[in-house]
Amino acid sequence: MRLRRIGRIARWEVTKGAGTLDRKTVFALVVLALLVGVVGVSAFDDGGGLEDGIYVVGVDAESAEGDPYRQVVAASPEFRLEETTITAFRLGESDADVFVGGPRLLESDGSTKGDAAYAAFRDAIERYNYESMLAEPDEAAAFPVTVSVQYQERAPASADGSGSGDASSGGFDGSGAEGGAGSGGAPDGASSGSGEGGGLGIPDVGGGLGERIEAGTPSALSPPFPFGPLILAFLFVVPMNFVIQAYGSTILDERIKRRGELLLVSPASRYEIVAGKTLPYLLGLVAIVVVLAVALEGGVLSVLGALPIALVFLAATFVGAMLARSFKELTFVTVAISVFMTTYTFVPAIFTEVTAIALISPLTIVVMDLQGESVTLGQYLFSTGPFYLVAAVLFLLGIGLYREEDMFAQKAIPAKVVDALVSRLHGYRSVPLLSILFVPFVFVGQLLAVALLFPAPEALALPLLLVFAAAIEELAKSIHVYAGIARSRFDASLRTALVLGVLSGGGFFVGEKLTHAVQFVGLPDLPAGQVVFGQALTSDPLLVLALFLVPLVVHATTATISAIGASYGRTQYAAAFVLATLLHAGYNLGVILLVV
Amino acid sequence: MLGSEATWSAKWAIARRELASLRTEKTIVLAIVIQVFIAAFSSFLVVGLVSLYDPTSVEGGELVVAVTGDDPEALLAAAAERDGIDARWASDRSSAYSAFEERRVAAVLDASRDADGRLAVRVTAPDEGIGTTLLIVELRGLLEDVERTERASSVDRLETVPLAVPADAGASPYFGFTYTVLLPLLLFLPVFISGSIVVDSLTEERQRGTLELLRVAPLSLADVVDAKLVSMAALAPVQAIAWLVLLVLNGTAVANVPALVILVAALALIVVGAGVAIALVAPDRRQAQLLFSGTVIGILVVASVLPEHPANTVAKLAVGSATSVTWLLFAGYCLLGAATFFGVRWGVARLEAESL
Repeated sequence: MRLRRIGRIARWEVTKGAGTLDRKTVFALVVLALLVGVVGVSAFDDGGGLEDGIYVVGVDAESAEGDPYRQVVAASPEFRLEETTITAFRLGESDADVFVGGPRLLESDGSTKGDAAYAAFRDAIERYNYESMLAEPDEAAAFPVTVSVQYQERAPASADGSGSGDASSGGFDGSGAEGGAGSGGAPDGASSGSGEGGGLGIPDVGGGLGERIEAGTPSALSPPFPFGPLILAFLFVVPMNFVIQAYGSTILDERIKRRGELLLVSPASRYEIVAGKTLPYLLGLVAIVVVLAVALEGGVLSVLGALPIALVFLAATFVGAMLARSFKELTFVTVAISVFMTTYTFVPAIFTEVTAIALISPLTIVVMDLQGESVTLGQYLFSTGPFYLVAAVLFLLGIGLYREEDMFAQKAIPAKVVDALVSRLHGYRSVPLLSILFVPFVFVGQLLAVALLFPAPEALALPLLLVFAAAIEELAKSIHVYAGIARSRFDASLRTALVLGVLSGGGFFVGEKLTHAVQFVGLPDLPAGQVVFGQALTSDPLLVLALFLVPLVVHATTATISAIGASYGRTQYAAAFVLATLLHAGYNLGVILLVV
Repeated sequence: MLGSEATWSAKWAIARRELASLRTEKTIVLAIVIQVFIAAFSSFLVVGLVSLYDPTSVEGGELVVAVTGDDPEALLAAAAERDGIDARWASDRSSAYSAFEERRVAAVLDASRDADGRLAVRVTAPDEGIGTTLLIVELRGLLEDVERTERASSVDRLETVPLAVPADAGASPYFGFTYTVLLPLLLFLPVFISGSIVVDSLTEERQRGTLELLRVAPLSLADVVDAKLVSMAALAPVQAIAWLVLLVLNGTAVANVPALVILVAALALIVVGAGVAIALVAPDRRQAQLLFSGTVIGILVVASVLPEHPANTVAKLAVGSATSVTWLLFAGYCLLGAATFFGVRWGVARLEAESL
């Protein structure tokens, strides 16, 4: 019954979507595509001409037309020739950035641009030499050196791990805040070679190089491009950016002129409506991913790695479309989702071969699969688990808003967020549950903060990081408590506030430890023991237990402070929140000082 | 039609309302954050890639390689001249390869003379991702040095003597990228965003039916559309100025700033005008946005048949290498912008308001 309704709504969605795409639009798009195809192929053969004529090269006006340096200028489109004299150039009377007057005379005008032009001209001379040598009849004299390169697997080094730095985990309580990637793999000590070179069908971007032999002259030697699989994995993310545009439109369309009313009064529940409207887009994405995986010779794992990314894309867009007040806002929300998600999945995957932390992005799973490496179940869960959870929570929150009073009213966004949270609160037991569900968001937020503050000076970054890490945890523990009290799900008494605070803090603590457990299973390389139990300061089991439980007390205390604030009103909640954050940050600082 | 005082103030009111809605929705904040993100991301990628292919830009220890074979002298001599490579002579091949297997050396270079008197070098390199890339880049430099000296010794057999390559002088490897990619990107993004906002704004008014309410106001549909067009097109040069100021503060010299700002304004008129036209013709938002993005991409690609791509025009103006072609194109864009503005006005005036 339920499935049939979902199927019917999905069918409507597809036929409606296909129906509104009228012939004129399709025709215009086809014409555009043809035009772009025809012109694009011919124009971008020569690199698009972006650099054409940006440097001006001065040559002596007296020099012959056949002067080789004039030919170098003519052969490289990035230069424009200007006839001048060396004295005029030195006096700054010509536009030239560099002056070339013979074998020993190449001069920059001293500006940054002149220096860049100098370097570019140097490269141009080398290219010119190469071209003129190709025309030589005596090949042995023109290219007196031949090179062949053979790539060979080596047995892994016995002393493991010299390549990867020890990166700390995402948790901020027990351990310090020093996150980040290790130093790049040194050429003769990289920790792990890529597995069996599972050669891809596409030239030059293959994963493992295998025992391939390249031969030619030194200049023709092309270094292997190490990010081939990463670029290919990126292809999985690109279509998602387009699909969410259409998906966001269809959700927001329901909210315009009360169109969604008709579905809301039908016997279908809002879960069924949302599932039905989402299904075509999800299936479409899965189909694209499967096709890509087949084309790129990836396996099932590529699909399984891309699926959670697609889910988060859709979930975030759904919430965005439920909150957005206009098309304009929706456009920027979807673009922001695109940019954020692309960066969040792409950047860690760059470090696939360097550090295990790269696994925070499911794209790393795709990269590993394309490289022919094996992925353990623990790694898969660690990598994709937070994404599945985030998608589920976002969909649940969004569905909370899928009702008449939020869909069609122009409410302020914070009020809608509170509504969304309240719809998930069913008595006391929901409070710790929501705290647990927010842990992945905290995890993502903290990682993002580490990444953003990485280049900042340490004296500034560390305190900011401490406060931000504490603030985001406090927010996760208190926002639903505030929502519940503000919408009168809970009465605003001191006793209730105490209970709510302890429940929320306890729930968060459990969620955090669950994350650590997943990390421990997924990434045995990381020093997980000290993350769970703090640094092994002592072997006394009682003290270890006490250290284990201290964070619980801290979480419960700070959550209670904000809960009490929330029971008095909004301003008081804000003040209590700041107090709780500072307390939490102070505790974190204390732990770090104690350990370091 | 344009003259009366009342129309002006009514149009100004619509423009203000349009800008105010951007402010209250915090859309513009999001737009700027997105631009910063895109710029930072592309710079991050370029810096990463440049340092990857230019190992001198990152700190690193010396690479130890083993040289073996019948004729190693040329390689050993060239390696002695270079920083970054420590070539060690291995008298027999098997010891060189076992050193490679045991990871004591990064690569093995096996050099011997072939029948033509050429130096044949067999490189055995590990298959280890980024490390291999760095190693090959470094070895290529070494082998090119060897090639140069070898070629010089048999120069009498060549018809043309290769040109002397000047000494390497330290120049920023990012100079070209800043002017040819980053700057055009930063100047074009606001234009695209303005166009996208106008598409959203007009399709929403049409879908919600509020365009009808506006027509009760004492001004024509053309005036309403006009006000939206101008207010959004004005937003792009303002953002462009902000980016240019930031770049200059960051130490990047930018020439012809007024011309760049005018160019962005002209391009904004063209693109926003196209957005208005699409929004008034397309049946709903999804198709309008699809057509708009398609058109902009189309314009960017088709523009490459011009003597200069618009991005190249921006780069030349900013770097101070503008030619008369650049200035002609600049004037052309300004004319086209004005033409688009009046064309849209003319078209909207002829549009049946009831058909929307």
